[in-house]
Amino acid sequence: MKIIKPDWTREMSMKVWALEPDYALIYITSPARDKGTVTLKRKNEVWNWLPSAQKVIKIPPSMMLQSWMGSDFTNDDLVRESSVIKDYTHKIIGEEKIEGYDCYKIQLTPKPEAGVVWSKIITWIAKDLYLQPLVEYYDEENKVVKKFVGSDLKTMDGRKIFTHWEMVPTDKPGNKTVMDYTKIQFNIKIDESFFSEQNMKKIR
Amino acid sequence: MITYLKLAWRNLWRNKKRTLISAASVFFAVILSLIMRSMQNGYYDYMINSSVRLYTGHIQVHGKDFWEKRSLEESMYFDETVIQKLKKNKNISQIIPRLETFSLISSGKVSKVVQVNGITPQIENDVTKLKDKLTDGEYLNENSDGILLTEGLAKLLGVQVGDSIILYGQGFHGVTAAAVIPVEGIVKFAIPDQNKSFTYLALNYSQQLFSAYDRITSLSILLKDADEIESTKTFLKNYFDNSYEIMDWAELSPELVQSIQVDNASGIIMLGILYVVIAFGIFGTIMMMTAERVKEFGILISIGMKKSKLAVVTILETIFISFIGVAAGALISIPILLYLVNHPIPLTGETADAILAWGFDPIIPFAFYPGMYFAQIWTVLAIAFVSALYPVNFIRKIKPSVALRG
Repeated sequence: MKIIKPDWTREMSMKVWALEPDYALIYITSPARDKGTVTLKRKNEVWNWLPSAQKVIKIPPSMMLQSWMGSDFTNDDLVRESSVIKDYTHKIIGEEKIEGYDCYKIQLTPKPEAGVVWSKIITWIAKDLYLQPLVEYYDEENKVVKKFVGSDLKTMDGRKIFTHWEMVPTDKPGNKTVMDYTKIQFNIKIDESFFSEQNMKKIR
Repeated sequence: MITYLKLAWRNLWRNKKRTLISAASVFFAVILSLIMRSMQNGYYDYMINSSVRLYTGHIQVHGKDFWEKRSLEESMYFDETVIQKLKKNKNISQIIPRLETFSLISSGKVSKVVQVNGITPQIENDVTKLKDKLTDGEYLNENSDGILLTEGLAKLLGVQVGDSIILYGQGFHGVTAAAVIPVEGIVKFAIPDQNKSFTYLALNYSQQLFSAYDRITSLSILLKDADEIESTKTFLKNYFDNSYEIMDWAELSPELVQSIQVDNASGIIMLGILYVVIAFGIFGTIMMMTAERVKEFGILISIGMKKSKLAVVTILETIFISFIGVAAGALISIPILLYLVNHPIPLTGETADAILAWGFDPIIPFAFYPGMYFAQIWTVLAIAFVSALYPVNFIRKIKPSVALRG
């Protein structure tokens, strides 16, 4: 993962174990200063293991909107992405070509009871691959706040996926967060007990 | 003209008591309005001074946009030579570097977001008297790697001096900042919000922790004389380039400016009411004096005195009286005000406790400066002169036949 700001950039590498949609565990492998930091997501909660303090800390709601590790992702993004199915009503509003892929254009409108920050999300899904080359997030004034762009189609572990992702906040020129998948495995044997506080401390 | 003056002057001293009474009404008017205004201005100056000393400084220098975004990304490079160079400016009395950021503090099951102030312990104490607020433990020194917690926060986390807490936040450029830090001391703040959310680290240590080496978020500057703000701002703008923002206390705490403006508006209304009372007092005495001289005027006019000449004499009399009153009031009020400025009235009881709770001293402070002083004098003089028109009108309408019968 590469965090790009107008006057500095920072690169990090990490391992991620995920049991969609509710569980994920992220282990930072570099830089040295952050190495060993673990982020655990369980449903709507985020926990961090800090090796330097030898302690697990639960991220309080007040910090949910802060950026995760200085990136353009917030703690909330880590948690929220999962509820894309439950918290929104979906509607196909057209078909467009994006990056050379024929896509359905789908608008997601949050349900009234859903606690989400976006007024709407528009996503493009490639018809033949069922992949998402572009997602746009809109704020309450109906302006695009950030774009999530996928590219660099590769076959990994038997599936075709985009391996290069960019999170671009449109209101902050010169800022973006770039993610590259170096290796990915699907359908590994893993169950909910893997995503535990004890395991945060043990994982390497 | 000399004759008129002589006549008027002699008239005044023909009836000493009358003159003194009306001069006294002017005299007290000056003193009262001066003391009232002095009290109002004193209170504002005191509020500004306290707030400047305790929180903002007269002027602050930050990296551009820091004030709005409050993140370490807008911090600025800093080294000791800056202080040496700025100290060459004679108006600057104190320069306080701080690294302020927010971070998560955690102990046991409790986590909370707090403000972490990286301070130079010595300088900070010179200015804000932080050491006096210590209720337990030790104050920081330059090389401390401990933390000072506010009392409410320590209660919330359930920690005491000697325990350790965990700070977890983001440093410069998004680097993780996490550490186990021993609690060095507990400080007690009067304002409840601050007492739950302030923490202090030594500047060196906080720069390390947040990977903000040689960086600070703000440079607070205290001046010897608050009137030099504009000139010092210009000096600083020349010293620092455009990648910095330079703000004075009024920009840093607009809520204070507003509350003073609101209060000042009501103060001016109060002063207006006082002026109305004063005007009636002065007008009343002049009216009575005129009334009791009706026979005298009648006789003068009967034996051939021109009404216009008589009017001129009475106007001169009023002017003399006003001047005597104002001069006496102005002179006497100087020592009174000077005394009050140096010995503010102490408050006691519940009011005092409430004011103390806000971190201010429980006193009624006074201020004294020429602009305010002369404004009161001119106003009272104007009131007296307007009152002088009454006898003129009275003389114009006087009928000797009626006047003589008294």
